[in-house]
Amino acid sequence: MDRTTSASMEMRSEGLGTTPSEHPAFAGRIELPYKLTTGRAASVFLAELASRRIVGSRCPSCARVLVPAQDFCAECGTAAEELVVVASAGSLSGFTETAAGVLGLIRLDGASTDLVHRILDAGLADLQVGQRVAARWAEEAQGSVLDIVGFAADDAPAASEEVRPLSDPSDPVIEQPYRLRLDYQHAYGPYYGRLFDEIATSRRIQGVRCPRCECVLVPPREYCDTCFVRTAEWVDVADTGVIKAFSIIHLEFVGQVREPPYIYAEIVLDGAATRLIHTVGGIEVEEAMERLHPGTAVRAVWKDGEPVGTLEDIVYFEPVFDD
Amino acid sequence: MRDVAIVGTGQTKHARRRTDVSQAGLVREAVDAALEDACLTFADIDSVVVASGPALFGAVNQPEKWLVDALGGHMKPVVRITSGGGTGLAGALAAMNQVSSGFVERVLVVAYDKLSEGALQYQISTLYDPFWGREFAVGIMGFAAAYWRARIDALGHTEEAAALVSVKNHRNAMRNPYAHVKKEVTVEDVLASRPLAWPIKLLDVPPISDGACAVILASEDAVPSITSTPAWIRGMAYYGEADNAANRFMLQSVPLQLAAQRVYKRAGIVNPRRQFDVAELQEPYTNFELSYYEGLGLCRSGEAADLIASGATEMEGDIPCNPSGGCMGANPIGATALIRLAEAALQVTDKAGERQVPGARTALVQAGGGWANLRGVAVVGADRN
Amino acid sequence: MFGRAINRVAVVASAQTKLRDAWSNRQHVDLISEAVVGALKGSGLRIEDVDFVIDCGSDILDGRSISNCGFLGAMGAHHKEESRVEEDGLWGALYGATKIGSGSAEVGLVLAYSKPSESDVSAFYATQCEPFYQRPVGFDHAAACGFQAQSYLASHSLSEEVFADVVAHDWALAAANSAVELETAPTAGDVRASSRVAAPLHELELSRPVDGAVAVVLASKRVAQRVCTDPVWITGIGTAMDQHSFAMRERDSLPACAAAAEAAYRRAGMDGPEGASLAELSASSAATQLMVLEALGLADPGGAARLYSEGSDVALNPSGGSLPADPIMATGLVRLSEAALQLSGRVGHGPEGASSAIVHGAGGVGMQNHCVFTLEV
Repeated sequence: MDRTTSASMEMRSEGLGTTPSEHPAFAGRIELPYKLTTGRAASVFLAELASRRIVGSRCPSCARVLVPAQDFCAECGTAAEELVVVASAGSLSGFTETAAGVLGLIRLDGASTDLVHRILDAGLADLQVGQRVAARWAEEAQGSVLDIVGFAADDAPAASEEVRPLSDPSDPVIEQPYRLRLDYQHAYGPYYGRLFDEIATSRRIQGVRCPRCECVLVPPREYCDTCFVRTAEWVDVADTGVIKAFSIIHLEFVGQVREPPYIYAEIVLDGAATRLIHTVGGIEVEEAMERLHPGTAVRAVWKDGEPVGTLEDIVYFEPVFDD
Repeated sequence: MRDVAIVGTGQTKHARRRTDVSQAGLVREAVDAALEDACLTFADIDSVVVASGPALFGAVNQPEKWLVDALGGHMKPVVRITSGGGTGLAGALAAMNQVSSGFVERVLVVAYDKLSEGALQYQISTLYDPFWGREFAVGIMGFAAAYWRARIDALGHTEEAAALVSVKNHRNAMRNPYAHVKKEVTVEDVLASRPLAWPIKLLDVPPISDGACAVILASEDAVPSITSTPAWIRGMAYYGEADNAANRFMLQSVPLQLAAQRVYKRAGIVNPRRQFDVAELQEPYTNFELSYYEGLGLCRSGEAADLIASGATEMEGDIPCNPSGGCMGANPIGATALIRLAEAALQVTDKAGERQVPGARTALVQAGGGWANLRGVAVVGADRN
Repeated sequence: MFGRAINRVAVVASAQTKLRDAWSNRQHVDLISEAVVGALKGSGLRIEDVDFVIDCGSDILDGRSISNCGFLGAMGAHHKEESRVEEDGLWGALYGATKIGSGSAEVGLVLAYSKPSESDVSAFYATQCEPFYQRPVGFDHAAACGFQAQSYLASHSLSEEVFADVVAHDWALAAANSAVELETAPTAGDVRASSRVAAPLHELELSRPVDGAVAVVLASKRVAQRVCTDPVWITGIGTAMDQHSFAMRERDSLPACAAAAEAAYRRAGMDGPEGASLAELSASSAATQLMVLEALGLADPGGAARLYSEGSDVALNPSGGSLPADPIMATGLVRLSEAALQLSGRVGHGPEGASSAIVHGAGGVGMQNHCVFTLEV
């Protein structure tokens, strides 16, 4: 994550009518690895693509052949356990073109339902509902629906025997690796904008005071959570405070930014009534277990060089012992 | 307001990883079991409520739209509630309102998570504000450990007391056919187990699980034709608290107390320790159970360590807590709270098998999520209010 | 009166932020608070009177898991009963209505919000598709809209020209609605000239994602009659979901929308939409808007375009509807808010003397899920 700069200093923002480009955003990314379980029907469907066979499932209740194979018949809820092989050619029921290319809805011979897939080697002008198409296979199967590269126009007539029982099934593809990446441009808004601007320009941490309970809220926000009245006044808080609570992290996990062991801490800055989430450093873990307590005083250790305006400008908070 | 009862429950075979079913197949397994328990079919179900953890857990956004086929939900009301770790109970509450208002007669509630699909701690860390603390978050474990450490000083919730919770829940899970962690542990084992977020250690932590639970709710008008042994929901509530509110009290959960107050009032509970025969609590960390004893009024503030040490919350005690083993036996997060509700229903209908508390008629259920700021409570009974 | 609810439930107040392409100088919490404060202002109710909060937002759009958990303070939900319905806000209103209808609460705040400008709307929809068959081939919501449009035109032998007229009609109404930020409305010619993004649909024939938040206050009959001279009563609610696989659904009609409407009318004791003064609709494209009108019974199959060319007895989308302003998770709740404001005569638009309304919300890829409310004053 990185941050450019924020020009959003206004406290009251209604009706400003500004355009997006005037307000830099905080670029956030969530990127996660998965191993997704395909389930019975899909695990066989995906595996059979390597043998260039397209598998459907027959609903025992309504007798429809669902393609690609489904575990359950959506319309009646029945488990569709009988797996069958349908033709790899059929007719085009519909098509569209989006940023992803030309996509088609295809009714394979023997299937009772359409499937969605890519249409190859054709523009919209070349396509007609009802025309014959056939699967084009990837050179090397990966156990993915993209082992069918797509469907292309094909003159072959409909197969005489459209639906066959599935014989000698391959080993199922029981899981698929998956990576989800989501990018964000989080708006700072007037409150976080000013907070991080102040950190970036003067290493000053600011909160807002609630006029009713008189508590100072950091990070600043428009409404006091407890009183639900508008906060009124910007207030400087210190870069010193006390530990409200802490734990010592040994666990390692995907996405972690600090190397264990380290000390997770919730800190109440002097002058504030809310918690700041950070780490405590400058103390060995063994010593921390003995000497740190809720209430232990700490002070921010700022990173050398120009601050950029995030909590990472503080390396950690170090304990301040009386002795 | 119409009374609402649980008329069927079902759970999957929970496991660290289920490779034989997709997320859809997992929920179906629980639903089939619940329908069979209630002797109902999809045709009898008017509405479906799905509850699960954040979409990032399974890489499927609004997963109810995928699961609908497996839930027999075609052309029915289907909606999903996602309210943190306690979402199973939040889902049941939404369903209960659908029934008690007269909107529908029978609702299928299904809650699940298939946690083996992804990288759990980082997924949970995305609860945190991207500007303010996410980079330092350790799921919710760092947070939970930190306030346990604070309660050690303030309330005497020692590591030994928490270890007793682990020992009890692990032992109880041995008798629960749905639990997938079947391992008795000793206090010494717990204390010597590897620190993850000290003072939280490996054996203070539940497993990561794949699992689902389904519960069928019916109106007082529909109950007689379904079962002669309904479990009546005598009260249910789910409260929130602004996480970073000024001077937020962290040693006890205020929303838990608010939920308990509301539900106890409705169910006529004035002495929880005496009036409840059994409790199912969503720990998930051992120290949470200690805190819940106090927040739910099973003992006074600062007495939880004494309560667990006294044996009162053991199977043989006067207020057995988590005869199912709680989260220690299985923890498919989104399903966990609904599992607690289902287990409570089994207890008050004398269907809990080897983990049955003899003669139980009134059960307490607790659920929660977020940063200890989403908390739910329910009372389930063999009798109506 | 819906179902067997003893207590009637009313919409007693509502407010929304302005809907605009991007609120890039404000955070989710800022938009949420503005809507909540706006709804309570002048309602005769204070935040202390609110028994519970139901909120509808999306983790995937917000970039934050159970994002409601972080927004509770801004919602006014601190120490209140709260739940997140991760669906369009109209389902939040359904939850709120059942909670009040059950007698377990008197005043509920229902919230919905989205900031698609911070995120990727196509990813929001694409991640709703199961990951094995549909996602890898590039199928998403835009493709679904394209398939629906093609199928609708073919089934009814219509020309694609009908879509642009629908769009121009709604954008003109939105331009007259101060709640939607819009400088000029495109003409039908402009619509046809916009780029084709999901053939046969042009960019302007798909709904425009906007940022915004909306808050609706629901109350029991007892409270509504105390605080409100003109409560808007919820008379019926229905909802239904279609199957997941888009390719296996009907594409030239929306049977789940028809099922939702039928259930709402039945609960309201109505035979159909006859007598409704206005309809506020949520559609992802001009094509599905026509299909929604048909599913609601406002036109025969294939006949909805004539409501635009020949005129309609029922005022259609007086607010402009979802095509010019689609705040994703908030769209249906904006429709409810708009319809209630129009029925109570508190906004400048909407038909004179309106007494009843049909409100429609939708969710999912290719509008898999539908919810219908009927209202009356």
